[in-house]
Amino acid sequence: MMSDGQPRPSAGTGQIIVSGLTKQYKTVRAVDNLSFTVEPGRVTGFLGPNGAGKTTTLRMLLNLVTPSAGTATIGGSRYADLPDPLRTVGAVLEASSAHKGRTGINHLRVICAAAGLPKERADEALALVGLSPAAKRKFKGYSLGMKQRLGIAAAMLGNPQVLILDEPANGLDPEGIRWMRGFLKGLAAEGRTVLVSSHLLSEMQLLADDVVIIAAGKLVRQGPVDQVMASMTHGVRVRVRTPQADELATVLREQSATVDANPHGALLVSGVDAPTVGRLALAAKVELHELTTERPDLEGVFLELTAGKAEIR
Amino acid sequence: MTLVRSELLKIRTTSTWWIFGLISLPLWALALLFNWLQTDALAGGDLGEVPADQADQVQAISSADSLAANLYTNGQFFGLLIVLLLGIVVVTSEFFHQTVTTTFLTAPHRTAVMLAKLVAAGVLALLFWVVTTVLNLIFGPMILNATNVGTQLGSGEVWTSVALNGLAYLLWSVLGVGLGVLIRSQIGATVTGILLYLGGTIGAAIAIGLLAGRFGDWINQLQLLVPSLASSLMVAGTEIPGNPPRWAGAAVLIGYAVVTGAIGVATIRKRDIS
Repeated sequence: MMSDGQPRPSAGTGQIIVSGLTKQYKTVRAVDNLSFTVEPGRVTGFLGPNGAGKTTTLRMLLNLVTPSAGTATIGGSRYADLPDPLRTVGAVLEASSAHKGRTGINHLRVICAAAGLPKERADEALALVGLSPAAKRKFKGYSLGMKQRLGIAAAMLGNPQVLILDEPANGLDPEGIRWMRGFLKGLAAEGRTVLVSSHLLSEMQLLADDVVIIAAGKLVRQGPVDQVMASMTHGVRVRVRTPQADELATVLREQSATVDANPHGALLVSGVDAPTVGRLALAAKVELHELTTERPDLEGVFLELTAGKAEIR
Repeated sequence: MTLVRSELLKIRTTSTWWIFGLISLPLWALALLFNWLQTDALAGGDLGEVPADQADQVQAISSADSLAANLYTNGQFFGLLIVLLLGIVVVTSEFFHQTVTTTFLTAPHRTAVMLAKLVAAGVLALLFWVVTTVLNLIFGPMILNATNVGTQLGSGEVWTSVALNGLAYLLWSVLGVGLGVLIRSQIGATVTGILLYLGGTIGAAIAIGLLAGRFGDWINQLQLLVPSLASSLMVAGTEIPGNPPRWAGAAVLIGYAVVTGAIGVATIRKRDIS
């Protein structure tokens, strides 16, 4: 994918270690004793409801925000201690972070100049994200998707071992999202570390190998996507709606099924499949209004894990 | 050094610098017209009745050296305002366009970034000074010859003023950078800068004049504390009787620049960028 091949060996392992990270604002503890690791060679999704502390965490990792406690290291060093930060870590934080009156290519050249990179890298990075035709157009004329691509081009200037992206899918059209997915998976396949924050869960299910889920500044779950989903209390469930809930629940429990009432008045049944539920209901003369098989997806897991923790703080 | 190059590239790749340059030109021309008339009047000596207590001062600013220095530093009043605003924009545009994130990601050592910004703003300010001075050296002699004062280009006093004028440009750009850090909002910092400069110059001059009339001449020494008055004192062509000495004006202005610059650097080092 990259014109100049594999990541530089000098970049270290590229493992990200967040340990006891805390950020206390005046009245709010935005991040609360958060610890997790991000492995190279994989795409890690960093998930949480809005206001969970994702952006604050990423900004502490990148030395933009000073932690109240704890540490965050990339390949064993704090960001501020990296001798050549842009050659180790590429970050995309805001889609709109370029001067509106500056052309795309000049935006990248300014960064190259500051990082001591040859200015040819600007052209290469622009080509990498497919923006070469818009190189000399001013940033204010860019669409949201083009802005997002320019941000990625900036992150790729130093051909870094580690990529950190905050909500990169924001504002991308379906074609752009597909492009981004392929791009990031490709980078991980080359052995790079890719950390992507998002609240778009369906997208994460397609993209991420691992997930780190936080809510209210605290870690909720970390692990490979499959394991996190499998670790949930249920696998496949059947959702049933009936005016005679108690009666049906009794019948089902006799068949050693597990029955829970969900907050919206439906029964969640596991241990038996939908046809069995239907047959038992018919035999017991229980009227059914809904009979649905629920397969867990990341979104369901996520909502369950973060339920009640997403309140405004 | 790479950071300074990057900062200069930032300035060069946006339109601010030439827009400010375009604004400066008519202001410079206006100042030249004003100074021409003033030179004409002072050189001709046709000021009518001069009160006895001001005769010394008029004498001082009517000297050939003083008239020439005034013309060779023409455009200073608005020029300093322009470089102050440029210094402000060098910092505040980073916050306005949210590029400060990228800047500090590229170079996590914020002190170095701020020093690079100070140098870049200073280089730009000196460029404005050079262009203005070249224009003044073209038009100044014409006026001086026309008013029979003579070009005075051999006078050390005149060249000292030109050099001090350059120092003033440099220091005001530093003040601008410091102010930009303290007031991140582009509009807020710009308005504050303009008020500080214009209001400071005119308001303080009036206030000090009134107070001096009421409490005695020692109050005049206080004008040193007003940055804009300190700088005009610094570049005044000659020592004017009753005013503080030039070096004191320079010292005060350097003090202000150092303090604002230092506070700016110290502030940005600790600030959370979010």
